Amino acid sequence: MIFDRRRIVSLLAATASAALASTALPSVSTAQEKVLKVRFYDDPAGFDPATIFRIENENIAFNIFSGLTTYDSKTGKIIPDLAEAWETDDNQLWKFKLRKGVKWQKGYGDFTAADVVYTFTRMRDPKTASPYAPELANIDKIETPDDYTVIIRLKAPDGNFLHQVANYHQGQIVNKKAIEDAGDKVRWNPVGTGPYALDFIDVNSRIVLKRHKDYFRGPAPIETINFSIIKDENTSTIALRNGEIDLVMRANREEHLDTLKKEGFKMNRVENYAVALKVLNPSFKPLSDVRVRQAIAHAIDYDTINQATAPSQQAVATNMLMPWMDVYSDDVPKYKYDPVKAKKLLAEAGYPNGFTVKHLNTSAQGVTELQQFEIDFLSKVGITMKMELVDTPTFNQKRNAGDFEFATRLLPAVNPDTILFNYLHPSNASPKGLNGAKYDNPKVTALLESARAEVDPKKRKAMYAEIQKIAMTDLYYLPMYANHVTWPGKQKVSGVNINYLGQVNFFEVDIK
Amino acid sequence: MLAYSLKKLVQLFITTLGVVTLVFFTLRLIPGDAASAMAGDSLSGEALERLREQMGLTKPYLVQYLTYLKGLASLDFGETITTGLSVFGLMKSALPITLIIAISTIVFTVLVSIPLGTLAAFMAHKGHKGLDNAITGTAMVLDLMPGFWTGLVFLLFFSLKLRWFPASGDVNIADPASFLQRIALPVLVLSVTQIATMARITRTAVLEVLGEDYIRTARSLGWSELRVLFRHALKNAALPIVTVVGLSFGSLLNGTVIVEFIFNIPGIGSLLVNGINSRDYQMVQNLIIFYALIFVSINFITDLVYRKLDPRVKF
Repeated sequence: MIFDRRRIVSLLAATASAALASTALPSVSTAQEKVLKVRFYDDPAGFDPATIFRIENENIAFNIFSGLTTYDSKTGKIIPDLAEAWETDDNQLWKFKLRKGVKWQKGYGDFTAADVVYTFTRMRDPKTASPYAPELANIDKIETPDDYTVIIRLKAPDGNFLHQVANYHQGQIVNKKAIEDAGDKVRWNPVGTGPYALDFIDVNSRIVLKRHKDYFRGPAPIETINFSIIKDENTSTIALRNGEIDLVMRANREEHLDTLKKEGFKMNRVENYAVALKVLNPSFKPLSDVRVRQAIAHAIDYDTINQATAPSQQAVATNMLMPWMDVYSDDVPKYKYDPVKAKKLLAEAGYPNGFTVKHLNTSAQGVTELQQFEIDFLSKVGITMKMELVDTPTFNQKRNAGDFEFATRLLPAVNPDTILFNYLHPSNASPKGLNGAKYDNPKVTALLESARAEVDPKKRKAMYAEIQKIAMTDLYYLPMYANHVTWPGKQKVSGVNINYLGQVNFFEVDIK
Repeated sequence: MLAYSLKKLVQLFITTLGVVTLVFFTLRLIPGDAASAMAGDSLSGEALERLREQMGLTKPYLVQYLTYLKGLASLDFGETITTGLSVFGLMKSALPITLIIAISTIVFTVLVSIPLGTLAAFMAHKGHKGLDNAITGTAMVLDLMPGFWTGLVFLLFFSLKLRWFPASGDVNIADPASFLQRIALPVLVLSVTQIATMARITRTAVLEVLGEDYIRTARSLGWSELRVLFRHALKNAALPIVTVVGLSFGSLLNGTVIVEFIFNIPGIGSLLVNGINSRDYQMVQNLIIFYALIFVSINFITDLVYRKLDPRVKF
């Protein structure tokens, strides 16, 4: 026989009793200890600042580690962290006064200047093979006259240096002994000086953070943060509605945001967190003409597209920088929707009947709604946009190699120099860097370099304004929209301030 | 029997070596690697090259291949490229979960579909078209519903509307009550399609047998309809059913990949998807061998069951 009656009966009985047991299980009350349950949306890849990747991992590291400086959650301004004060006269010699009485997590003792030296030395050591080493390449010498003073001399002046030592990968201060103790598992054994310490991790299902009792700003309000890995956004939306979790790290789908908003959930949000750019590659001949690039900008009505496709997540952008950045300038050419002008420009450039252009994208994303609109708008001025869909790693490889006609890029950064230097400086031209359009305008290059050195904030701002103006005239990078980031959560969760790197400092979060 | 087993073992070895080699090289044929998958938007050029070197991706393929074979020969599955964790350790914690889901699904499916299919066959045989059509029709519709869709619908209905099962949470075998609650929906989703397929096959097989002479003989001996149906008809119809059960185990392993994603189950399906997405060669290579081994073993077991069911089957 295939099945045996007795065995089936006993199996059924076992299942029934187990089901009964599960319904009879009392819900454990955690009134004494505050626990926050958060959705984490991908597999964690480790938290070693030298090799850390992707924004969700960065968010964990951001709460474990500290930098010499950090970012104010609401304004994005640089504020003190492990350094209580700093001074510089020439943007080249930087003197940091360190905070006293800062304790490492997990009993690793007191934080001193030696930890700063160790961190930056390790980060720059070729053996560490950190992709962020170039961010610190400008450091010439580090001196520590005493345990609580660090003097850093740069090879060339850099007015944005405080960003390089902020609490963000290369700036996150690590402990020598903890790194050595972890051996080849550094990324799974992070020890920092931040408000939360890593307590437990199962890379397939969850991450548990416990608050660092001796944190120098005092203990965080919540004792335990439980991150559950929920990849599918349908599932995470249901989990929040069911009350299984308190907070969703990033929700992107308009229909979910809509449902949650209607049901009264708190829509924690940061607006204009980063700008999405369309890269127009001039190695594709028509795009080498500035008139064609400007025609494309006039041909597509991004305002309407954003309103139609993702009103709660995207807003119109007219510049490569975001309005909240201190050197942002509004004095740049703007391209109003004007198909007649677009056609005229195309005709002048010798393409009265348009041309066909290929847009590189991932098959995971498919042809996005935005791109469907773009295809439609471009067809009205005679340009045929065809989609070239490839899988994500292929997409990354082709895009890095500059092997595309149209592509998109979104680089979250607080430091305006990160965006401008990466996209506009010829030393970053693909395949070496992010400058996929191989933009090389000697005037802009000179301005980029002198802006870094400029000590006078006014002059510096003027230089950056000039750069933005030229870049938006040359238009190799066309702003499509500014992105918002939303973390829907329960009303009783407060203090979810998403910063301009898309991260939340859980020290500020509380739950009623 | 021994000779047969030995022969099968040699076949297994050759198949596995073939799979290993094929997987190793096809994986590397896919453009992009772990470094570029990981770097995404934020890195390129020299920084990416440094990462690649760190991950050991710059070594020649042949060197990588030989190192890999050497590791396999000593049963060392190595560490994943992206997380640096032991592949064996990850598989060890993920495998029981997937196996429990797959086996529960099979058991549940067999328990529901075989009586259902037999009943449908009996009704058809007796000329009661109505019930037969209803069962067969429903089975057909269920069979065609894609797993990811059923998954979402079940999630909305059983989890959000009825609140019977949680949509997320720990999957911990050491805590059987919550474990069962977490895997109940995935098992249900997987079973729906399986039940439909298996009920149809059972119906066809039993219906064919019901027309045989020995069934008439059994009836003429005065045995009850139930006894005739289940002891005589079903037993003789068992061969195709067993084949389908064996085959469906394979398709179940595919199915678990989808339900594990929707229901956040940390099983081997999740590992495989993550491995492929992050181009973690080491992870995918070892998982595929493992899948191949499962398939081959199931075929082997099916063969043995055949022989047990039908003494005429010779190897």
